Amino acid sequence: MKLKTLTIAMVIMACLLSACGSTSSTDSAGSTASGTDDGTASEQSGSGSESAEKKKLDFMWFSDGVEGEVTQSIIDEYEAANPNIEINLIEVPYNDYENQLKIAISGGEPPALARVTYVGLFKDASITFDDYVDAESFKAQFSDSLDPFYIYDGKIKGVPIDTTANGLIYNKTAFEKAGVEVPANPGDIWTIDEWIDAMKRVMESGDVRYGLVIDKTPHRFSTLLYGQGGRILSEDLQTTEINSEAGIRTVDIMKRLHDENICPASVWVGSENPNDMFRTGQVAMHLAGSWMMTNYRDNITDFEWGVTYLPVGVTRSSVPGGKYVIALDNTSVEQEAVDFIEYYISKEVNQKYCSESLFLSPRNDLADMEFSFGSESWQIFANELANSSPDAARDWGYAQTSALIKEPLLNGVAEVIQGKTSSKDMLDSLAEKVNAELAEINS
Amino acid sequence: MKKSKDWGIKIAPWVLLAPNLIIFAVFIVWPAIMGFTYSFYKWDGLGEKVFIGFNNYVKAFGSAEFWGAFGRTAAYALISVPLIMAAALLLANLLVKDIKLKGFFRASFYWPKMISFIIVGLSFRFLFGDSFGVINYILEVLGFKSVAWLTDSFFAQLVVILATVWSMAGYYMVMFISGLQSIPESYYEASQVDGATSAQRFFLITLPLLKPTTFLVLILSIIDVFKAYPLIKALTGGGPASSTKMIVQYIYEEGFTKSNLGYASALSMILLVVLAIFTGIQFKINRGGEI
Repeated sequence: MKLKTLTIAMVIMACLLSACGSTSSTDSAGSTASGTDDGTASEQSGSGSESAEKKKLDFMWFSDGVEGEVTQSIIDEYEAANPNIEINLIEVPYNDYENQLKIAISGGEPPALARVTYVGLFKDASITFDDYVDAESFKAQFSDSLDPFYIYDGKIKGVPIDTTANGLIYNKTAFEKAGVEVPANPGDIWTIDEWIDAMKRVMESGDVRYGLVIDKTPHRFSTLLYGQGGRILSEDLQTTEINSEAGIRTVDIMKRLHDENICPASVWVGSENPNDMFRTGQVAMHLAGSWMMTNYRDNITDFEWGVTYLPVGVTRSSVPGGKYVIALDNTSVEQEAVDFIEYYISKEVNQKYCSESLFLSPRNDLADMEFSFGSESWQIFANELANSSPDAARDWGYAQTSALIKEPLLNGVAEVIQGKTSSKDMLDSLAEKVNAELAEINS
Repeated sequence: MKKSKDWGIKIAPWVLLAPNLIIFAVFIVWPAIMGFTYSFYKWDGLGEKVFIGFNNYVKAFGSAEFWGAFGRTAAYALISVPLIMAAALLLANLLVKDIKLKGFFRASFYWPKMISFIIVGLSFRFLFGDSFGVINYILEVLGFKSVAWLTDSFFAQLVVILATVWSMAGYYMVMFISGLQSIPESYYEASQVDGATSAQRFFLITLPLLKPTTFLVLILSIIDVFKAYPLIKALTGGGPASSTKMIVQYIYEEGFTKSNLGYASALSMILLVVLAIFTGIQFKINRGGEI
């Protein structure tokens, strides 16, 4: 009996240990599978080993809309033309993306390629493209305004694949019903007061509950900040300047929008999703950006919507953004990764990617690219980018910006809206905290 | 033959325990040791680790944000735990009796424990959401003004406590039922003979004899509440303005939003010590220690 029990226990233990030890080539979210099981000796994706037959590359990815599918089709075409290359696109939800990528890197099993928002966060783990391409001619393909986002210490650490712009999306049906016109060209752009007045008139028509929702992120907040002539960081990125007069005016605008019930408190004080509010027709305008185009194209069916110009404060400004692809170091497929990226970012392929995913292209020779959907909107976004403050690219090119200001800014603005503190006191307190952290980072 | 039998008797428990021990060591003990090690470093998860000694702990104890999160968690426990215990005891008292559909009711009240905390948080958000919530919709249909359930700090905290009590009471109800069933019926019979009312029976017989179970529920619910994160994150995101941000969310944000993994590890160790104290008390009670 005891021998039987012992035998059963040993079998159970063996099964458990073998289950812990298995790897899979079809791991889903978060996996940068180190092992593949295709029968080819000693092959590993991501850190591809030396096989004459096939090199496998893991490409870690997140999607805002349909760009994952578009990229997969591009990968399929590349693999057909390069039968010795296999690229495994691994989709990871954005919320946890950076953590998953950091874990993969610090665990010694980085993917060969990764789509990222902030190249700077991973610059020490990614290759330097200068070692593989002619740096000057490579950089010359892209808009100079994007340099702070992917060039660090004069070296190319990532490659831009799409560009976004913050902008103002509006409920056309509600505006038309209220008889309120939006600016038709840059010469007509609203001032802040005119903008607020326009939204109030639309609200009075009764078709919408609120005039505006603003995404609860420092990135969207900074749109208004740059328009007031302010900026987040100093020129040398050593201190914050968010508590300037421009910053105070920006927070005052946020407070006014909430006090006058133009913005619902549930977004910036609570955690309501502004996309849901705009999509369901509760709000006249959404301060978001060009990445929402596919989402709204596919999901809004009850009313017409469009894009109009951001209001002018002291100056005009949007905020450039976009996504980049990095090739990670220590994968033994660095050359193959660079080869794919050069293909992926070539004019024809990038045009396909951007036109089907509805993104602006970072390429200079695609600046006037035509879109099958919303061509007027894209012209507005492009115009906004062309009239943006250079501080925007510098602030958001610095990898630590979001982590530094996100929590204190979002909480601070919520407290100002609730009347618990003043704009000046909140920003001064925020600046003190951020400057202390910057000093620690730079020490 | 006798020697191999003795050897088999000695080794068998360890063989049977081995799978659990291995899993425990790999997924609990080893990460805890690594976390303790990281707590003495400054590290962003990617670059080099820089040894800084106890600086992370000094920073934590001197941080207003840490004490704010810890204080909120303590206050949350102070209010939620008695409510959880009261609700669980009330349900147990009702369902320990032999009533119709007793099994169905017990399962129904236990059911929230089976649901993921994230789902509970999202469900309560659908109920109490300011713009999309069912309750505000009903209020408006009835002609009342909607309530800022999740944008007013007071109401948001109330909703969090309500969701917590709803999701946990059923679990502890089962413990109380077990405790109530262990009280000899003869005590109640004797008290009835002496003319005791039901309230007197409850306060003078049930509660005193339920003391060990009550204390166990108290300790376990305090530990559970201190670890609260997914429910609150899904329900309020920690807002409005951090009014529902508890200690675990603070640790998560320090570690994964701000990439201060060393500091977050130190915070985790502090929380571990606090929970270990409560766990130690619980173990003592389980071994029959006096309370």
